[in-house]
Amino acid sequence: MRCNLISTTDVKEIVVNVENLEVSFGEKKIIHKVSFNVNRGEIIGFFGISGAGKTTIIRVLTCQISQKNWTGYVKVTNLNPGSKKNHAKILSNIGYVPQLEELNLYYDLTPLKNVEIFASCYNMKKKEALAIAKELFSILDIPEDTWNKPLKKMSGGEKKRVSMAIGLIHKPDILFLDEPTTGVDAAKRYDVLSYLKKLNRRLGTTMFLITHDMEAALIVDRAAILRDGKLLEFDSNSNLITSLPSKGLVARFSIENLNEEKINIIKQFPNVSNIKTIRVGNETFEVLMDDFEKNLSKLIQFMMEKGLKLNAMSRDVAAFRRYFQLRIQEEEEKERRIRMQQETSEEVQF
Amino acid sequence: MAKSKTSDNWSSGTFFNRLRYSLWRIVRQVKKEFQLLKIDKMNLVIALLMPPGIIMLFAFMSTSASVTIPVKVSVVSYDSNTFVNQNNYSITTKWDNYTEMYLDAVKESELLELIEFYDASEDENEYAMETARNEMRDGNIECIIVIPVEFSELLTTGYPGIIELIPDASDAASIQDKLNAVQDSIKIFVEENDLDPEYVLQEYEEFSVPSKYNFRYNYNMTVLLPFMTFGISFVLTILVVVQEKPIARLLLTPVQKAEILLSKYIVYSIVLALQVFLVLTVAIANGLYVAGNVIDLFLGLYMLGFAGVSLGMFVSTVSNTKTEANQLFFALFIVIILLSGMFVPIDAMPDYLQNIAYILPLSHGAPIIKGILSKGKSFIGFDFFWLLGISSVLIILSFLVINRKRYEV
Repeated sequence: MRCNLISTTDVKEIVVNVENLEVSFGEKKIIHKVSFNVNRGEIIGFFGISGAGKTTIIRVLTCQISQKNWTGYVKVTNLNPGSKKNHAKILSNIGYVPQLEELNLYYDLTPLKNVEIFASCYNMKKKEALAIAKELFSILDIPEDTWNKPLKKMSGGEKKRVSMAIGLIHKPDILFLDEPTTGVDAAKRYDVLSYLKKLNRRLGTTMFLITHDMEAALIVDRAAILRDGKLLEFDSNSNLITSLPSKGLVARFSIENLNEEKINIIKQFPNVSNIKTIRVGNETFEVLMDDFEKNLSKLIQFMMEKGLKLNAMSRDVAAFRRYFQLRIQEEEEKERRIRMQQETSEEVQF
Repeated sequence: MAKSKTSDNWSSGTFFNRLRYSLWRIVRQVKKEFQLLKIDKMNLVIALLMPPGIIMLFAFMSTSASVTIPVKVSVVSYDSNTFVNQNNYSITTKWDNYTEMYLDAVKESELLELIEFYDASEDENEYAMETARNEMRDGNIECIIVIPVEFSELLTTGYPGIIELIPDASDAASIQDKLNAVQDSIKIFVEENDLDPEYVLQEYEEFSVPSKYNFRYNYNMTVLLPFMTFGISFVLTILVVVQEKPIARLLLTPVQKAEILLSKYIVYSIVLALQVFLVLTVAIANGLYVAGNVIDLFLGLYMLGFAGVSLGMFVSTVSNTKTEANQLFFALFIVIILLSGMFVPIDAMPDYLQNIAYILPLSHGAPIIKGILSKGKSFIGFDFFWLLGISSVLIILSFLVINRKRYEV
């Protein structure tokens, strides 16, 4: 695993520290020995498909899972969420933006009334809360004429931004965001991410995102990849991509009647030891390999020799999405090999 | 792409073909509806089992009601069967003791249950009538039979005997039953003692509405006020916890579950106070007769309403969905109404139903209100403390339930 943990001598302040976290419900282990830390002011993204364990980790950090269900060393703003006496303090130090706005907002009330309700939970004075809210609403471009209208009359994007503002109303050290781009249409997704980056820069708030939207990687300082409760990678976006063969250079091919058989032929390209292929469309696949520049022409020649009909070809640098897919694919293949080995050894024993 | 056979027939088929396909789709939709219905089993239980359940409950309630419930009476006798000569203060004549004979008739009558007999002719029973009235105020007896001074004398000398009857008129519907029951005792008394001429029954109602007040309005209000106050406060609170989606998010702030629930109790208690105040203002402005204190009435109604708030809050905390809360409300409210004594007197129900009925809040709330309105009683008493107890138990339970409940965002 590529896990860029900050050493204790580092000047950066660690606001979340997790070491060997294991979470179980009954016999079922959900999280397996996960370790990571988050520095003040960073945006951290936890990526994984459904069931990877992203929400479980965030629930441990936000005091939603009882200590009896988890083990390990966990500190959030230097406080242990396993101790009930720390809950009020931790919850004062963190903000939370849930996936669904309806869980965060009173739709029949106005944005400013919602702000009042949530600010009062932190013992904030109304005047102070409204001043912060207005500043946040301005940063988030929430039109002033909507501030005193019921939320149910606002658009989905506006509701999402009000939800973010409420998460930040008490100026928390860390803002946890659960799938911040879910339910937002493709064009608006980038807006949401831009606003988060903007808030991070303007307020310096540490942000902890969990998402399966790979576009979110555009704004994160470090990205974690989770699968089946295991942390596969945790590093900066650029470090992860440059760890790919030829620092993430990728060749995209379009082949007529592409199928698994044809992809397997390409995988047998003899000149290179490290070759990775990934199907990205109906007739399109991408290839990453060592000595990309030297081997690309040889690969094309090999494909033609094998009778593959090439329709188009282009080259690019891999995005985080590709890294994620390749990493998950690699993990699946590894598991498949282990399973096959086990089956073979069982047959031999039999 | 080739059109499917079905869609092709739909667009180009004959009227009967289209009708056939339409019916086929309806059948499929009906099947789907049944599948959806099976998902919400509670709804099915309410729809199918609740109505027969209510009828069965009603039948159980009425089983004993067909047997006559004797009217509880106290007899106060001023009858003096001795004649005192005023000149020399000597007892000159002793009449037959008809009071004893009448008491035997009362005991014999199946329509009456003698609770107490006071011989007011004795000096030590000087306050017999007052004692009996207090017994009636407390609901221990339903009427007082008064035997006048010359009762035995008149009957012995062949005059008509006079019996005075003082029924509890706070329950207007049962006055005739009380009269009939006493008539029965007189009938037995006359037949067994071969009396002729018979008797005169004089009736003086106690706790009735003064004539300047509207009788019908006031008697209806004794029923309406407790039912309305309890029912509205109950229904008002059944959704307050279950329908508030952002509770889970609020719990990710320093706010505690108990604080959220307590704030709801405070708000709905204030709303209840306002509601009771408005109800009483309008009721009094329209001519409500309050024999007791208006503040007692306010506090009595408030306590009953608070039991409704507590029950509503409890329903709201134990329910997982709005539908579940509505169903639970309906089931509980039906049972509470049926067992409140409105349809069948609680004392006429089988013992096991009486036990349940006397746990429920309305069975205690209605007597408090009737007592204050008609008899001038105070709100403080067993029924008040029972309501306080029920409310306290429900509040504790709702806090325990919400504390155990998992809220996740």
